[in-house]
Amino acid sequence: MTLARTPAGRFVARVGAIAWKEILHIRRDPRTLLLALAMPVVMLLLFGYGVSFDVDRIPLAVSDQDRTAASRRLAQAFTENHEFEPVGGAEADAADTIFRRHRAQAVLVIPQGFEKDLARGGPARAQLLLDAADPVTASQVLAKADAIALSESRRVATGPGISATPPLQVKVSSRYNPEARSAVFIVPGLAAYLMAISAVLLTALTVAGEWERGSMEQLFASPVSRLEIVLGKLFPYLIVGLIQLLLVLGVGTNVFDVPILGSPILVILAGTLFLAGMLGQGLLISVLAKNQLVATQAGSLSSLLPSLLLSGMLVPIDNMPAVLRLISRVVPARYMVDALRQILLKGNGFAQVWPDLLAMLIFAVVIVGLATVRFKRRIA
Amino acid sequence: MSAERRPSRAWIQYVAVVRKEVLQTLRDRRVMFMLIFAPFLQTLVLGFAVDFDVDRVPTLVADQDRSQESRTHLRRVLADGTLLRVGEASSAEQGAAALDEGAAAAVLVIPPRFGADVAAGRPAQVQVILDGTDPNRSNVAAGAVSRYFGEDALRRADERARAAGVAPPARIEVVPRLFYNPGLKSSPYIVPGIAAMLLVVVTTLVTAMGLAREREQGTLEQVAVTPVPASVLLAAKMTPFVFIGFFDVLLLVTVGTWVFGVPLAGNLAVLALATLLYLLSTLGVGLLISTISANQQQAFLGGFLFTLPAMLLSGIMTPVDSMPRWMQVLTYANPLRYFQEIARSNLLKGGGFADLWPQLLALTFFGTVIFGLATARFHKRTG
Repeated sequence: MTLARTPAGRFVARVGAIAWKEILHIRRDPRTLLLALAMPVVMLLLFGYGVSFDVDRIPLAVSDQDRTAASRRLAQAFTENHEFEPVGGAEADAADTIFRRHRAQAVLVIPQGFEKDLARGGPARAQLLLDAADPVTASQVLAKADAIALSESRRVATGPGISATPPLQVKVSSRYNPEARSAVFIVPGLAAYLMAISAVLLTALTVAGEWERGSMEQLFASPVSRLEIVLGKLFPYLIVGLIQLLLVLGVGTNVFDVPILGSPILVILAGTLFLAGMLGQGLLISVLAKNQLVATQAGSLSSLLPSLLLSGMLVPIDNMPAVLRLISRVVPARYMVDALRQILLKGNGFAQVWPDLLAMLIFAVVIVGLATVRFKRRIA
Repeated sequence: MSAERRPSRAWIQYVAVVRKEVLQTLRDRRVMFMLIFAPFLQTLVLGFAVDFDVDRVPTLVADQDRSQESRTHLRRVLADGTLLRVGEASSAEQGAAALDEGAAAAVLVIPPRFGADVAAGRPAQVQVILDGTDPNRSNVAAGAVSRYFGEDALRRADERARAAGVAPPARIEVVPRLFYNPGLKSSPYIVPGIAAMLLVVVTTLVTAMGLAREREQGTLEQVAVTPVPASVLLAAKMTPFVFIGFFDVLLLVTVGTWVFGVPLAGNLAVLALATLLYLLSTLGVGLLISTISANQQQAFLGGFLFTLPAMLLSGIMTPVDSMPRWMQVLTYANPLRYFQEIARSNLLKGGGFADLWPQLLALTFFGTVIFGLATARFHKRTG
């Protein structure tokens, strides 16, 4: 008895046949395949270079009403490290217009009598008018201004008996991403996001296309079972997804110096589990949506948005309201992002990553099961 | 009756096609649901989820001094809420291991004899070990600790001077005054940005795929053989989307004010004009994509290939100023950049025509060019 005669052998043969048919479909449309493979690389390059919150050369207008050596020294302290970029003088009451027209992010107002106050030993005050519409940039400006005021205070405070004060040092050591580079933070998250996009949407679109054209009914007339159709259809896309993952990681390590400290096999395992869930989700959407337009919108709503926002890829989950934190627990991308960061950046192994893997496995089994069940209802 | 009283032929054709488009859109409830409900949901999720404030960073404390002094410092450094004490560690090594496991994101180590050293004026060193994965978070956390001890050193210098009988050293203070968003809340800033994002998703992708679908099914050719000229057909096809776009902006502004406290500081006519000009660009791109795609899948991927970089290079999520130079140059060719600047300046800062005319001009330029190009290609394809 050959292997092909056993029930298991037949199962594999049928799944293989469906998978082969799907591969032929993909091959017939090389433009889509090229887009699916080129897109992640382009996105990664753009995100890797572009996503950063660190602002330097903040445009600063100065309104120096004191016009003394001390006031000029303070204005210079703001711009000498290129943290602020002088964009010219300003009247203090014109700040509103300046901000509305994006001329400057902040206006430093040094009032008359600044130098006199300093000489008297009393606190000498300057004012920083700040366009705080963007809170992330604004809080960076605040921190920088604080640090400058502190170091300027220390500079002018070199009197008798004070210079000998030993400074109390704070030594900061940062692990996993010591140079604080955004790319190291973004790439693992981006890998998960890009895989989610193509896995969910490619399957959703392909299968929805088959419903639209009626070729799915023909498939059901063949002796292949539902589960075999589902697995056969998903398998080629799993391969495409894994190629994407490798591409993204390859570019990430070579262009952005993202480390791979942990086991690559563990990365592939996590990727497979994650992709299985995402592909199942795409299939489920296509079964429910019936046409490609609805499938796209449903796909972006149910996978792109959560994968981008509720996965911790860009926005920290800890800060979210409790409801969203709860929802983020059923977003598989959350576990993928965490697993990738652990494996790549920290070098953690299976012993630390297994809860993430388990969560993705559960999601995959449930969603593929649901998709298979809904498949039948559609036909009946 | 004079002839000019009767509506022109083009108008009749236009109305007829608009009617057909509206009926077709209304017939598919799910499409309507997606065009109207999805933006609503996205606004809510984005508005609530996007919060880049760094606070409550889970922190382990390794107090190796266990003196009155070290306890006071630890209490004060944690007081501003940036760091949240979640446990103890015995040493820096044990704390670092906890970072590996993800049990905490920061470890604060106070060395032995810290209190005695500080009191005697000997140099002392506090150690902060951070999970640096998220650069924003680790910078803020490190800044909070450094600021506290820096201020403490100044205060100590004051005290020492006073004890020595000399005048305390002079201090320079920079007092900030925050315009527009004094609470530094993320949502009033993010929500107007979402408008730019949603409009491009809804209009560009839906137009691109809708037209690609008509081409697939051959219905576009059927309409092309009717006496309706291509330009009227195009105008009529775009009309429902202009209304949907305006409806989405209205919805967003409403949700923004009621739920997220967007101030509505400016003249809304500016925003309305900007929306119209912006829709010209987004619909034009959708149209352009549909003319170069063979099927819906390609149209979708093409749409995606445009929308994702366009969102990224717009300053909606991360500031344009933080991008590398060459990327900042690219943002000038991006309609999303101008629309988000107008929406934010108008709603938050009260920017009017006098402030925002350069952006409006840029939108007019891009809208005309893109839509003109798309129309020309569309004519060629439909013949």
